[in-house]
Amino acid sequence: MNPEFLLSAIIFVPTIGALLLALLFDSKNSEAMRLFAMATTLVTFGLTLMLWGDFQEGTSGIQFEVAKQWIPTWNVYYRLGVDGISLPLVLLTGLVSALAMGASWSITKHVKGYLVLFLMLESGMMGVFLSLDFFLFYVFWEVMLLPMYFLIGVWGGPRKEYAAIKFFLYTLAGSVLMLVAMLMFYFNAPEPGGRFNLIYLADAASKGGLLSPSLQITAFVMLFIGFAIKLPAFPVHTWLPDAHVEAPTPISMILAGVLLKMGGYGIIRIAFPLCPYGAQYWAWTMVAIGVISIIYGAFAALAQTDFKRLVAYSSVSHMGYVLLGLAVWKVNEANGQSIGMDYWQMGLNGAMFQMIAHGISSAGMFFMVGVIYDRVHHRDLNRFGGLMGKMPLYSGLSAGLFFAGLGLPGLCGFIGEVFVVLSTWNFSWVLAIVAASGVILTAGYILWAMQRVYLGAEYRGPHPEDLTPMNMRETSIAVTLLALAIVFGIFPAILFNIMEPSITSMSKAAESGYQQSAAQVTQLQAQR
Amino acid sequence: MVGETLRNLLMIAWLLPLVGFAVEIFGGFWGSRQSRAAAWIAVGCIATGFVCSFSALMIWGNANHWSVLHKADHGSSHESHDGHQGEKGHEEHAPAGHEAPAEKHGAVSSESQYKLTALAAEEAATAHAAGPTVYSGTLYYLARFGSLDLSLDYYIDSLTLVMFTMVTFIATCIHLFAMGYMSEELTEEYVDHHAHLSNGHHVHRPGRFYRFFAFLSLFCFSMLGLVLAGNIFQVFIFWELVGICSFLLIGFYTERKSASNAANKAFIMNRVGDFGFLIGLMVIWTFFGTFRFGETVNGKGEVVQAGLFQLLQRDDTGNVIRDAENGEVSVGAADAAMNPGNARKTIPYFLLVVAGLGVFAGCVGKSAQFPLQTWLPDAMEGPTPVSALVHSATMVAAGVYLVGRFYPMFVQEVLLTIAYVGCITLFMAATIAVVATDIKKVLAYSTISQLGYMMLGLGVFGWGAGLFHLVTHAFFKSLMFLCSGSVIYGCHHEQEMPKMGGLWRKMPITAFTMLVGVIAISGLAIPGLISLSSVFAFSGFFSKDAVVATSLAFVKSNPSHFLLFLMPLLTAGITAFYMFRLWFYTFAGKPRDMHVYDHCHESPLIMTAPLLVLSVLAAFCAVGGEQGPLFLLITGDQPAHVSHGVAAVAGASTLTLPGHDAVHAVHAEAGTYALIAAASGTLIAWLLYGTTMVNVAEMKRQLSGLHGFLVNKWHFDELYDVLFMKPAHIIGKFCTWIDRTIFDGIIHGSARVMIAVSKWDRLFDESVVDGFVNLLGSSTFAVGRSLRVVQTGRLRQYVMFIVVGVVALFAILFTTFPG
Repeated sequence: MNPEFLLSAIIFVPTIGALLLALLFDSKNSEAMRLFAMATTLVTFGLTLMLWGDFQEGTSGIQFEVAKQWIPTWNVYYRLGVDGISLPLVLLTGLVSALAMGASWSITKHVKGYLVLFLMLESGMMGVFLSLDFFLFYVFWEVMLLPMYFLIGVWGGPRKEYAAIKFFLYTLAGSVLMLVAMLMFYFNAPEPGGRFNLIYLADAASKGGLLSPSLQITAFVMLFIGFAIKLPAFPVHTWLPDAHVEAPTPISMILAGVLLKMGGYGIIRIAFPLCPYGAQYWAWTMVAIGVISIIYGAFAALAQTDFKRLVAYSSVSHMGYVLLGLAVWKVNEANGQSIGMDYWQMGLNGAMFQMIAHGISSAGMFFMVGVIYDRVHHRDLNRFGGLMGKMPLYSGLSAGLFFAGLGLPGLCGFIGEVFVVLSTWNFSWVLAIVAASGVILTAGYILWAMQRVYLGAEYRGPHPEDLTPMNMRETSIAVTLLALAIVFGIFPAILFNIMEPSITSMSKAAESGYQQSAAQVTQLQAQR
Repeated sequence: MVGETLRNLLMIAWLLPLVGFAVEIFGGFWGSRQSRAAAWIAVGCIATGFVCSFSALMIWGNANHWSVLHKADHGSSHESHDGHQGEKGHEEHAPAGHEAPAEKHGAVSSESQYKLTALAAEEAATAHAAGPTVYSGTLYYLARFGSLDLSLDYYIDSLTLVMFTMVTFIATCIHLFAMGYMSEELTEEYVDHHAHLSNGHHVHRPGRFYRFFAFLSLFCFSMLGLVLAGNIFQVFIFWELVGICSFLLIGFYTERKSASNAANKAFIMNRVGDFGFLIGLMVIWTFFGTFRFGETVNGKGEVVQAGLFQLLQRDDTGNVIRDAENGEVSVGAADAAMNPGNARKTIPYFLLVVAGLGVFAGCVGKSAQFPLQTWLPDAMEGPTPVSALVHSATMVAAGVYLVGRFYPMFVQEVLLTIAYVGCITLFMAATIAVVATDIKKVLAYSTISQLGYMMLGLGVFGWGAGLFHLVTHAFFKSLMFLCSGSVIYGCHHEQEMPKMGGLWRKMPITAFTMLVGVIAISGLAIPGLISLSSVFAFSGFFSKDAVVATSLAFVKSNPSHFLLFLMPLLTAGITAFYMFRLWFYTFAGKPRDMHVYDHCHESPLIMTAPLLVLSVLAAFCAVGGEQGPLFLLITGDQPAHVSHGVAAVAGASTLTLPGHDAVHAVHAEAGTYALIAAASGTLIAWLLYGTTMVNVAEMKRQLSGLHGFLVNKWHFDELYDVLFMKPAHIIGKFCTWIDRTIFDGIIHGSARVMIAVSKWDRLFDESVVDGFVNLLGSSTFAVGRSLRVVQTGRLRQYVMFIVVGVVALFAILFTTFPG
């Protein structure tokens, strides 16, 4: 298939699927609709795998770029492309969507509406990761928001309306700031043709020709808040536990597995390349926020009694590593030279890896919580126990996925966490030590939760008779996730080989952009 | 070539258990609950591993013409150690290099003996031509970032090979033993008498025989990976993996709350140590830019980059080299082109200390040293073979192994810390062991104490002594744990010694082999049995002697640290006391609980055979002491600065670390002291527990304060609970509270403000804006309505209006604008 067409296909196959589903299917025939939606997500995942097959590893630039004029008066283009930063996330989206669809058999209310929204959500997510036009990016960013709002608000738990509106307003607040920043770039772009072109803007920024240093500082803050909400970072994380607790299992998987990554992706794709000076200016703050998120999320997880809430807080903690790794960029302010550039690149790579790893492990953890919730309809950690005896395969697979979350070597979580932490000392030894202490807390809350749920002499909650073994569908989802966790834990180079060249070139461009802007600052000071 | 062969053999030994694990863990699917197939797979894997490891050892030795053993007899003349030669007269010197391998592994070594004889014939020729003894290389890369790279490597030297052989051998014995010990699990319905349901009944569950062996295999894989690791990061990887295996095995009886608590405690306390480990790793990574121990070799066999051990160079006095300009420690290989791209030129001395202490913190956790020792006694919740393999012989010794492996990176301050930590640990644990009544707990505390000896030995610069004790301890402690397992199995899971007594009649093999272990650990010896200058003793004597001698040498050159000699000496006595107490309590005297005694029986052959094999090794593995083959093999590739000691430097370090000469000078003296201590301990134990001359219960009552303090394990559990566990949970609750009240409060508050604003907005809209519009509308309407009256549709009326209008208009026009 023509690779340029492939990108559009990846985005719009789910949309077409949604349309067909809405038009052709009888809404009483849930099974057929589920199978059709499942097939759609699998085809989409297959397409992303084809994209990986066509992708040239070891090159840093954008591949399969598509650019068609969309709104000529505003210089808006339909511009798509993929590089080492977006490809892993596209693959992750395809995978998690397919698996989450597999987990959607437990949804029995308004199946048609659910499936249509689900597929539209997938289109939106793919669009965010594939678009290279800021306007298009923004459109997809918002497109994805609406289905999510309804999926939580209609199919959620008891406080679904509250959670949905909280999620929506939080994200929207971020989007507004992003919009302002977008307009700042728009009106400062040297050439009108490239006003929304992210690649062009990044290139201009790396030459110091986009925003002035002080504007960069402002623009970066606005972008960062928008993305930090999505990430989510302390202190704008409180939408996450509510959204997760109320969302149905498959939506939690999508939320943790993919949506959170958009925050990290936005930072590395937009905020850093477009405002390198701003990024460097706020580096210490970001690292500190990352470290606080790690520790704070872990402590909060320790205190939860709701199983899903615990996993949600563990996401806050784990995504703290992403922010931490992205931001450990140290420069010598006297001469503008980076100190230990390789360590920053390690941090960036580690952060990207952590996004994928967390996508796998947290989707797995939420799925495992969902499996037990479907059976006994409660999530109170103090009323489980003894599942190891009743559902040994389930418990064994869960243990594997929770160990991946715990950062056990040989599983994917370890590589991301430890690479990020190792790269931190170069930036700040204090923050490095605080971040490293997270390993103790993580072990604490995960093991304690596992003890309360899986171990023990007997199950202490309601509906003990419903503790039936996992069926084939559930088993295959869990096995897939655990297998991937193991593969990426043992051979992380699979991902690093894709990511590393693009990340290196991004970081080099940011470095030169910083140096240009820093030179402007020195010049200004000299003039005064 | 040899390097590749060694690598492949050790990799087989390393990876086979992993394959075994992958098969065994699904034993519930492919096999029946009554089948021993999983166990045989596990035994097959680990036994093959032992064969591979041992072959690797032989190949390695032949490749370098056993230059290591050779060194003992002839090598010292090259080193021109005058005192060395003189001292050797005392030792069992003659058979050292040649006979001992035959004793150690009788069947296999006839070939090597031939080689050794041949070697002896052409010793002069080969002494200088001996091949390399260290082989290192890369297995595969995890990631590369610029000039940074992380990989899985291998590093094979004499220590690696000895550890591989030891671990695989002991693991094989323990696997076999476990087949007997765990046979109760070979059932569809196992009744767990230690786990209760809420209705008071025991837990009934299917047997989990296969799962136990799967975990054991996974453990073996992790442990061997740790030993094979060629960089410190890889050590960390397997470090965590052995930790999780330990977690799984301690918590094997998942139904028991005490077991899962102990498992959590073990893993979390290890993580506390690993937190320190991680800090050490970060410092090393940032300043050295590499994690590899040895040199990096590219595909063509050329050295392309120096490893950690080459980057931290030492001068002739054994001290690290300081940079002339800023006084920091130089980082750099002899050939600057070999430096890693990101290596800094210097590292502040205190950070080198931090790095060392950090890595050591990991070892403290893993080896259950003070202050992280409390998890190990609890770990005895696991089945006894696990205690023997994981929690005494191998995994807990990994901390000691790592201190030995990472030795070139430790500076004096770190070594002194290691010594003191070891010293505190060995004393404290021994005192607790004195009052413990659970047979496994006594052994657990004795393990902690012995690990303390190892740490102490390493800390006082006895590199060989510490690791020597590691290996001998592995043999005799695994033996004793298996014996205790045999007792527990025979007594139907009774672990309390006060209910035993007189068991030697019922289980003679166990009693006898246990006695061998007890003598070995106590360090008893008979001087002058074979010849006047020699000592007949079991392995523990030689290794403990080596540790004590090194600490005496250390104290003689650093008198202010006299405790480092006195404490181990005193503890040697305590050790003998509590070990013989255990033996007398369990096996000697009259039965104290006839119910236990009557049902007690000797274990089957599959359990006693490993005991007999291990007892031979526990007794004789250290034959020859420090001139014996085991010691020489271990120290074959000792760090370069160890043999000469490290001199004090004015202005930097006041510590003098003893070299081999200094140790040899005090060896006999220290040995005498240690023997006296051990003999007195034994005597007291015999008086108290072997005879009825002293009323122990009365003594216990007299010393009830001390007794309570010791029984409560110096109150560490309570202390940590108050200091760490409770605060962690409180902070956790506090964070949740902040989320709910402050952050969500802000959100909810602003939401309320928005709602209030919009309400006001609505009010404004409805009353003011809408009011105005409505007013406008309604008045227009009213006007229209009032005008409706005039719209009658009568033409004459309309004409009338027009006429009146026109007249009116004209009237206004003329009145307003006259003229």
